[in-house]
Amino acid sequence: MFEKSLVDLIRGMRGHKGREAEYIQSAIKECRTEIRSQDMDVKATALLKLIYLEMFGYDMTWAAFNILEVMSAAKHMQKRVGYLAAVQTFRPDTEVLMLAENLLKKDLTSPSIPTLSLPLITLPHLVTSSLALSILPDLLPRLTHSQPAVRKKTITTLYRLALVYPETLIVAWPKIKDRLLDENEDSSVTAATVNVVCELGWRRPRDFLPLAPRLFELLIEGGNNWMAIKIIKLFAVLTPLEPRLVKKLVRPLTNLIQSTTAMSLLYECVSGIIQGGILDGADAGVNVEEVADLCISKLRGMILLEGDPNLKYVALLAFNKIVTTHPALVAMQQDVILRCLDDPDVSIRLQALELATGMVSSDNLQSVVDRLMKQLANAPPEKSTFLNGSVEDQDNTDLEQKLVPDKRGSEASPLPNEYRHEIISKILDMCPADTYANITDFEWYIETLVKLIRQLPGKTNDTLTGRHDRTLNLPARIGSQLLDVTVRVKELRPEAVRAAERLATMSSRGMYFASHGYGQAEILEVAAWLCGEYAVHLSSPYEVINSLVHDQTKDFASSTIGTIVQAIPKVFASITKSANQEWNASRKGTLELMLGRITSFLDTLSAHPNLEVQERSVEFLELLKLGSEALSAATIDAPEAPLLLIHALPALFEGSDLNPVSSAAQKKVPIPEDLDLDTPLNPNLDTILRSSQLIDEEEGDDEQTTAFNKFYFEREITALASIRPTTRSQYVEADNDEAVSYQGIPDSPQTQARKKAERAARNRDDPFYIPGGAHTPSDEIASVIGKQAGDLDVDSIPIVDLNIDPSQLQHGQSTEKPKKKPKRKFMIAADETLDPTSDQLSSSFSDTRAPRSLTRNLSNTAPSSSVPATGNRRNFLSVDSSNLGAFSLSDQEQSGTLQLDIDRRLAEEAEMAAALKEVERKRLELARQEEEARTHVAEGVDEEGIVVKRKKKKSKKPAGDETTEQSLVDTLKKKKKKKVKKSEGGDPVQDSQPDFTEQ
Amino acid sequence: MQAAIDTATQQTLLRQIFDLVSARPSSACNFLPLPPLLAPAATSSSPDAPTQITYRHYATLYFILISTSTESPLALLDFIQVFVEALDRLFENVCELDLIFGFETLHAVLGEMVVGGVVIETGLEKIVAGVKESEGVKGKRKAVNASSSASLGKSSGFAGLGWATGTGSSWR
Repeated sequence: MFEKSLVDLIRGMRGHKGREAEYIQSAIKECRTEIRSQDMDVKATALLKLIYLEMFGYDMTWAAFNILEVMSAAKHMQKRVGYLAAVQTFRPDTEVLMLAENLLKKDLTSPSIPTLSLPLITLPHLVTSSLALSILPDLLPRLTHSQPAVRKKTITTLYRLALVYPETLIVAWPKIKDRLLDENEDSSVTAATVNVVCELGWRRPRDFLPLAPRLFELLIEGGNNWMAIKIIKLFAVLTPLEPRLVKKLVRPLTNLIQSTTAMSLLYECVSGIIQGGILDGADAGVNVEEVADLCISKLRGMILLEGDPNLKYVALLAFNKIVTTHPALVAMQQDVILRCLDDPDVSIRLQALELATGMVSSDNLQSVVDRLMKQLANAPPEKSTFLNGSVEDQDNTDLEQKLVPDKRGSEASPLPNEYRHEIISKILDMCPADTYANITDFEWYIETLVKLIRQLPGKTNDTLTGRHDRTLNLPARIGSQLLDVTVRVKELRPEAVRAAERLATMSSRGMYFASHGYGQAEILEVAAWLCGEYAVHLSSPYEVINSLVHDQTKDFASSTIGTIVQAIPKVFASITKSANQEWNASRKGTLELMLGRITSFLDTLSAHPNLEVQERSVEFLELLKLGSEALSAATIDAPEAPLLLIHALPALFEGSDLNPVSSAAQKKVPIPEDLDLDTPLNPNLDTILRSSQLIDEEEGDDEQTTAFNKFYFEREITALASIRPTTRSQYVEADNDEAVSYQGIPDSPQTQARKKAERAARNRDDPFYIPGGAHTPSDEIASVIGKQAGDLDVDSIPIVDLNIDPSQLQHGQSTEKPKKKPKRKFMIAADETLDPTSDQLSSSFSDTRAPRSLTRNLSNTAPSSSVPATGNRRNFLSVDSSNLGAFSLSDQEQSGTLQLDIDRRLAEEAEMAAALKEVERKRLELARQEEEARTHVAEGVDEEGIVVKRKKKKSKKPAGDETTEQSLVDTLKKKKKKKVKKSEGGDPVQDSQPDFTEQ
Repeated sequence: MQAAIDTATQQTLLRQIFDLVSARPSSACNFLPLPPLLAPAATSSSPDAPTQITYRHYATLYFILISTSTESPLALLDFIQVFVEALDRLFENVCELDLIFGFETLHAVLGEMVVGGVVIETGLEKIVAGVKESEGVKGKRKAVNASSSASLGKSSGFAGLGWATGTGSSWR
């Protein structure tokens, strides 16, 4: 039989272009047979092929047992294949792992260094706590192996053991420490030890303070940049615990900054100084100003340096880490940081954006946001790209091309939707912060919000992101901002409502909404509500009505339609009110026409599938029909319009102003002592319900039926009357006969009086009911609350007094021309609430904090930070080190017990080992027999490999992507064939010799 | 708990990172924003979570490292450079085909540099010596020579990416 080698397999795959999947399936089938071969060479080769295919996503976990067999091969090269397969596929939960235990132990004691290394580098991938316990006695002696290569690997392996089995450290830590402290130790072992110490160090810094002197020594004399970087990082964690370190560190670090040629070391020194809190070390005798100047100027230089985006990125990264602790230092670098917002590189932009959000103030908010807006407006929206899609060019790929740093031309990329989304959500984060503390010009803000609508990214089809909710939220967040500003800032209401009007008006919608139309419904919902609620500020209410009743409305989500339906009569009411001032025939005609249009619109919605929409439409439809009847009944020469239209209808919507109410306020309403929710409201409910069955037949006199009718049919009118007590009598007189047709049940004055009394009794204890009368019990509640809360007149409290000193405004904003426009003073209404503590709003800035947190709650769309991104998905690449936290290194007493533990375990093991060996041998024998039998039977039976899907598309794309750039490099390559050395020219970092190669 | 991930997830991660990385011009910096799969779960921001993706682009290949924020970004760039230089020593004038056919050696180099997610060696000489010792006296070798490569040359690329990020998954 002739088996394929790995090279044959790879060539075969290349030879079967377009049919790889098929070819691979057959190859896997062959491997399945070959791997059962008795010939170890064949077995190992089959395994190697499987590992190769695994890189393409073909599962090979089924071969776990065979991997074990290859791992135990005698030849090193075969063994290595087995261990490689184990690294790639074995997991701590792999079942055959128990069988591997003895093999690992045996190889750990191998005299051959390469063989000995294999289990060392493999263990971290598959170690479990029980495996750790059993392997520890064999691993520990390797720490004193004669070969440094073995020692350094052992140290890191022990560290990984400690992660799953923290007790490892009890016995291992003293020895690891010896390695670190031993000055004659091989330098690379020391470096590896430092790496491990650092890994442990930032998890439990306190335990590592005693090592500081030795680490300090290594930092100064080490000569290994990688190690120095690690030590500096560790010191940044240690300094907060030991302030005396600060003074000791300053000199060597500043020396390093000034002397080193390695950019990476320089950068880490700077960020180590900043993050280690050395800049706060004035009392430790540090010349803080000098050091800060040095660090900041280095970072600034990194940003300014043209041609190295990496330095720009890491400098921003460093700034980002200190922006919360040292905002002043960062703010001084505003100019360069803001310039990075326009960088062509998205990574840099995102960092700068993050930074900008952290450092906005009232001085620079507008310029930052304007800059971002410009960026949004100028960049073309992302097209649905087919990833360069040029698969045909593949043949040009020169696989023999030497690996030289890539030089691709820079092309301007369109703004990705993700980034677009990020910008908008950051703008929406920074503007309302601290209840608009940073906004001085609300007209500008309204305008910005309206402009943002146009920049909304289209619906992302990326279901993998799991950020769907956040993306969906963007339009709603803009909407809630519009709403919030309009409600809170009274002075701005006219402007804000006119903005909403422009959004709502059909003819101008196209101008304000992005062409993909995504998010339109959410925004329109808010715009419609604003138009309705503040209809007095509308410039052309007629047009608004016409736009709202447009056919297109019916296509929106039902919540939007519901709001629109509610807004229509509100706007209409304000029209009739103003129309009444000069009542004449033509106005009457206009109103009739409009009523007709509205009723026909509502009529179409009265069968809407959404009950809320249906209910509202039917209610208003009936009401407006009445209005239209009254209108047509009125004579042309009447002095004014029908009372129903000019008084009753507006009265429905007029009342006290709506104010932002803190979401916590409801909870603070005191519960009345005599509130009893357990007593049934009506003990006769059963009887009433039963009798209601008979209601159609039985008429009038029945006492219970009357009660029933009263309860269900009379509420509306009386409730209405209670809102406007002054117009009630008027209303009843004027519309008495219409009420007959409307309600069906006429009320005598007596019943009305009785019902009023009943209602008063009913409402007495209702905390939500504020009666129109002079003094009721609920007034008492209100006054009690008032006493608690101090003065509840929120509007009179000047919350944000933003009189900005013009000289201050110009400072740091030199590029912006100073504003000529006289500043308007805006009053921002805070949330209304009942708690005295949070209500003590003074005029100072700091006190606006309390309402701010409430604002977040009010804007029902939570800000990005609080939205858990599909919370339960764990971050799978992370290493869990939580075990280590509970473990103390200084606890020496335990080591004795553990030693005993280990000894006992050793004895047990010796006993077990013999038995296990026997069992294993039997088992192997059995398995072999069984498999032989199976191959006989299974000949010709289809044994398909288990294939992980998505393969086909993938294998092609990358090559396609590369080829475009490829051809360029190719031509270059062919000229200098094989003479291209790694030291080709280019930018400094890309090609520089790595800093730590020379030791 | 464990850093190990199953093959399917690994493939998705590769895909996502490749999409990000291939869209970047060479003038861009060598750090990536996190792909969706690694996006931080807002609830926990453990220092153990991978938050940093560093890559370098050499000819047809991307070398990508995923690491925690406790690693120095610039040092990681140098790390990749050492990695590639070590490969260049072991394969004379290393190219993508060398790595495809000699992926075992590639893993061996990685094994000399990183153990259990911790960097143990950054010295070029020692890395090369370590690999040579484990491979026996093969000396410099070329997995393919120019004449035989004429028959090859199709649908490559992905294998290269496969191990490049495979690097990442063992780097924690």
